[in-house]
Amino acid sequence: MSLLRIEDVRKYFPIKEGLFVRREIARVHAVDGVSLEVNPGETLGVVGESGCGKSTLARCVTGLHPVTSGRIVFDGQDVTRLSGRGLKAFRRDVQMIFQDPYGSLNPRRRVGSIIADPLVVHRIGDARARRRRVQELMELVGLNPEHYNRFPAEFSGGQRQRIGIARALALKPRLIVCDEPVSALDVSIQAQVINLLTDLQGELGLTYVFIAHDLSVVRYVSDRVAVMYLGKVVEVAPGEQLYREPRHPYTYSLLSAASVADPDASAARSRVILAGDVPSPITPPPGCRFHPRCPKAQARCSTEEPLLLGVEHRAACHFPVEPGERLTGATRSGDRP
Amino acid sequence: MRLLEVTDLRVSFPTPDGVVQAVRGVSFGVDRGRTLGIVGESGSGKSVSTQTLMGLTRGATVTGAALFEGRDLLTMPREELRRLRGARIAMIFQDPLSSLHPLYRVGRQIVEMIRVHEPEVGREQARGRAAELLGLVGIPRPAERVDDFPHQFSGGMRQRVMIAMALALNPALIIADEPTTALDATVQAQIIDLMVRLQREFDTALIMITHDLGVIADIADDVLVMYAGKPAEYADRRTLYYRAHHPYTTGLLESIPKATGTRERLQPVPGQPPSLIHLPPGCVFHPRCRHVMDRCRSEEPPMLAVAGEGHRSACWLPGAAVGPGAEAERLRDEAQAAGTRRRDKGEGDVAPAD
Repeated sequence: MSLLRIEDVRKYFPIKEGLFVRREIARVHAVDGVSLEVNPGETLGVVGESGCGKSTLARCVTGLHPVTSGRIVFDGQDVTRLSGRGLKAFRRDVQMIFQDPYGSLNPRRRVGSIIADPLVVHRIGDARARRRRVQELMELVGLNPEHYNRFPAEFSGGQRQRIGIARALALKPRLIVCDEPVSALDVSIQAQVINLLTDLQGELGLTYVFIAHDLSVVRYVSDRVAVMYLGKVVEVAPGEQLYREPRHPYTYSLLSAASVADPDASAARSRVILAGDVPSPITPPPGCRFHPRCPKAQARCSTEEPLLLGVEHRAACHFPVEPGERLTGATRSGDRP
Repeated sequence: MRLLEVTDLRVSFPTPDGVVQAVRGVSFGVDRGRTLGIVGESGSGKSVSTQTLMGLTRGATVTGAALFEGRDLLTMPREELRRLRGARIAMIFQDPLSSLHPLYRVGRQIVEMIRVHEPEVGREQARGRAAELLGLVGIPRPAERVDDFPHQFSGGMRQRVMIAMALALNPALIIADEPTTALDATVQAQIIDLMVRLQREFDTALIMITHDLGVIADIADDVLVMYAGKPAEYADRRTLYYRAHHPYTTGLLESIPKATGTRERLQPVPGQPPSLIHLPPGCVFHPRCRHVMDRCRSEEPPMLAVAGEGHRSACWLPGAAVGPGAEAERLRDEAQAAGTRRRDKGEGDVAPAD
């Protein structure tokens, strides 16, 4: 059975206007009907460009945003409308690692007390037991336990991210949502943190939802990958399959656009350069949301919204890319008004 | 003569904590129609080097020479440099939102730039040119969008505006400092595509500064790898990716997941870059190096010629040991064994991760 089930989750943010009477004039459709499952022990990668709703989804899953509609089921229990004791118990099981290792640690508090925070909030152990646990955690993530009295400013970016990981692990969670955990780090440090996350998963049997925009990093860490575009999941499949045979034209374009650190491979592939920009999530296009930019779009795409179909490999497209088919950009960059 | 020839550039900043030696002797050059990629991580000195050429590092102590079209940028009067800047050498920055003035229409900002350098051009004429430029960089309905404010453009479109501005006076050299880092993958592809196309059209020289080895693989002819203010390796693009010599370059390449999708364990470079105030003796990379030898701890390696034409590397390992092959690995191991007399492991060895 899946550990986490996201059922048709929607999250809209109201846009209000008016000085005294705040009326809602529009809504940002940040997450618009997403259904996903995460199995115990696996890593589900979520990729997409800025504004696709991947971070909002992460915040809905961890309960930081209340959802507008839909259900989030964790370990068989609906957690979307939890409060009080139930919510607190859920939050022990689900933790989050944030992108910015500078913004997510309070600069005026010592590292030891930052890592101990979850233990204090959940009233676990006394001061001595907590300190022991903090030092254990620091050791586990590759920090020197003697440094628990230092301030965040005394650590480098990579070390700060380790502090964030130690804090996330403090309550022995079962699911960790990683929101761009390595994108703020230098390349050589990125690899250190990725290896750490992989090792911890093996040692502690963790389940990850791994959100990132870097396609090669997601491919490396994920068992399955979901691709989001404008608040919707357009494709989800086992990682290798998705990268080898993308079915959705957006996935195809995204993969072809990504830079690879290999000049020959880079020269050999054909790039689909998408025209224009991502439309506004306030008024998403009707039908398939990708149709205004899609090289395969036909009349039906602008009226009828495609469903996410398939078993293992699911794609929301009326005219999916066939195996072996090569797409070319219908238009060159920016030539279309 | 090369368009730009930088020799032994050194830049340092006095601070209350000590002198920050941001750039310590880097040389490079670029010709018309060519692209030089400069790669490095934060603090490698890649941005400081080029900002110094443009006279943008106030308060820094600068030595060396930077000949551009035969004249030294580092010693020329500020007024003269100002005339060159924008007209002959243009710059594109990472964050287009903070590079554009939020309260002025983009057209006006381009017009101002044209008229500062070419006062004889009339306002209307300059406006027409601004619209033309916006069209050139692929902004739809340029004649209308000239009158929009920066916030009315998306991130990718803003970067196009910056490129239009950089091209306005047909410069001989464009310096692009992480121009695609703030952009999404599909937009990044659009912008790189555009830059390559425009470079061909105008035969401009381009210096591309980035931390992203993927961008370099797409665009650069030659690549300079920098580490802690020093050049580590210089080679043409293919040589750098397939026949790298410096252990730092190799380390960078092994830190990123392979494009083939294999899930072999990543090989990060252990430790972290040194403080630019307290630099390690000898080779600046030795505390993190896999192949450290005795002399690396005391003698600083200069840029030495290694296998292949024009390939240079600041490393004491034998010049023939290039690339990931077994033969090269054997050469490296042999050199390391021969060059290490002290067997005691301890201080000075590879630092633990972080």
